[in-house]
Amino acid sequence: MIYAVGGVVIYLVLGAGGFLVRPRWLPGTLALLAGVASLALWAPGFSEGVLGGGRWGISVAGDSLALGMWALALVIHGAVLLHERTRPGPFHPLLTLLVGTCLAAALSRDLFNLYVTLELASLVSFLLVGYEGKPRAVWASLQYLILATVGMTLYLLGVGLVYGKLGTLSLSAIAALGPRLSDPAVGIGAGLLVAGAAIKSGVFLFGLWLPPAHGYAPTTVSVVLSAVVVKMGAVTLARLTEALPVGPALVVLGILTGFGGLLYALWERDLKVFLAFSTVSQLGYMLLGFGLGGGAAFGAMLYAVAHGLFKGLLFLAAGEAVERVGRREIARLAGQLSVPVALALAVGTWAIVGLPPLAGFAAKGILAQDAPNWAKAVLFSLEVGTAASFAKLVPLFRPQGTSPIGGLGFLAAAVVALGVGGLLVVPGLFSLWAWGEAFLAAGIGWGLYLGLRTLRPILPRFTFDRALGSLFVGAVVATGILLLW
Amino acid sequence: MDGMAASALAIALVGLGFWTLLRRRNVIWKLLGLNVAAGGAILFLVAIAHRPQARPPILGLGPGQSADPLPHALVLTAIVIHFATLALSLVYVIFLTERRHSQDVHKLEEER
Repeated sequence: MIYAVGGVVIYLVLGAGGFLVRPRWLPGTLALLAGVASLALWAPGFSEGVLGGGRWGISVAGDSLALGMWALALVIHGAVLLHERTRPGPFHPLLTLLVGTCLAAALSRDLFNLYVTLELASLVSFLLVGYEGKPRAVWASLQYLILATVGMTLYLLGVGLVYGKLGTLSLSAIAALGPRLSDPAVGIGAGLLVAGAAIKSGVFLFGLWLPPAHGYAPTTVSVVLSAVVVKMGAVTLARLTEALPVGPALVVLGILTGFGGLLYALWERDLKVFLAFSTVSQLGYMLLGFGLGGGAAFGAMLYAVAHGLFKGLLFLAAGEAVERVGRREIARLAGQLSVPVALALAVGTWAIVGLPPLAGFAAKGILAQDAPNWAKAVLFSLEVGTAASFAKLVPLFRPQGTSPIGGLGFLAAAVVALGVGGLLVVPGLFSLWAWGEAFLAAGIGWGLYLGLRTLRPILPRFTFDRALGSLFVGAVVATGILLLW
Repeated sequence: MDGMAASALAIALVGLGFWTLLRRRNVIWKLLGLNVAAGGAILFLVAIAHRPQARPPILGLGPGQSADPLPHALVLTAIVIHFATLALSLVYVIFLTERRHSQDVHKLEEER
């Protein structure tokens, strides 16, 4: 435990101190090395301990979920450092602070400590989204700020209700009390906690700040937000299922966000906003797995890591393409990408569609192995939809000219390594049946794309006021359902 | 003030704040609403800490039962976080007012 907490402290100190030191990338690199060393020292995990001791200490634990999130955050930080090593200004200190906060959130087992780490991560994210001073990005960041703060206010009310009733903030102590949702204080509190965390993680109808914020943020900021920060919301939801019986609510949210995000991703023409809607949809896999619990929760953790890696790769490639060409529409970018960027985009697409032998296939396979049959059907149809939405990127894979590789090669290697490693370690993934199913889903998706291409449905645009309204309706409905369950 | 009255006031503040947040079109009004709501959430935590006939949870204030100190510690943290968030959001509003000459949500939404 001491190593893990030490790693977090070093990260935060070097992040804060980084504002004073030049060159800018140096403290971030030192923090990354310290983080890797700390992860290696606590690696197999540690059981729950109390920081500060006594009744008022903060519980922390290093389980497999924390392990996965640490590995993901450190790999993404490494890739971004490599890609942005020459960037001046406060970018690197802010990034180090953000990654350090996410490392802390992954360890936390305390309702209020999760609130503080999530708020800190959001605060740094708001700064980073508006970092380049483009009005559209600043407006996206302000929307993100207001919606996330509403979410965290609801979460704080939920903390108050649960603490007032049960008298503890530690997740394991709450679980030991065996809380029942039929008790109004616990039921409403659990509903507010789930709704707040869902808003923070960007669940469809709850967190509609996500598409503009991820779509208009600077390239590498989109990478970190989509790969790591969104996962912290999902981790918080997963932690809530450890304390309170809210698993079924997560399953419902997972199905909602899986298909809702997909619906918008299918017809979105702006490349980066499309990837952001795809993140909304992919959250469905993770929430479904965390809600089901058991082996599926482990699969969901692996999927969170895999999605972090390939969505980071996709956002990095897409950002490079958009910056180089100066256009954001997918159709306008066709045939204009350089070889490394097009290659990275192709690897990311191959992985997210879930084709072997890359990371997406291994993680989806493990997630589906322990799921009941109806969940397998949901996962299969999500896979078909993902393939259909990504089919429109195919014209982009005709490259032209070259450009520096930067962090693209590193992330692509990580996607391949996780995929091949998963195939070798987990039994049952090398079967003809599993491979056939993956290619079948991709094939049906391609057919669906050809069929849907001519349709132009008019989906309601989510303006700021509509996003706020849907958030409140969602929070009330979620709380009501949990209370009446 | 006793605990129930404080809780009721806190919930009323949260409702009032969220109502302003939803109904007003001006970003500054929205932020004000958001802060009233956050203030309500903070007051709610203070109300949770209330015990009948309790003194403030400060060491050396004499014998007798004290209010629950943990929510008070949480409230301090929450106030600091809300202060930082409000400060940053106002900076963004100043920035947008300078660039887009508007604080109206509908005008800010227009693609540029």
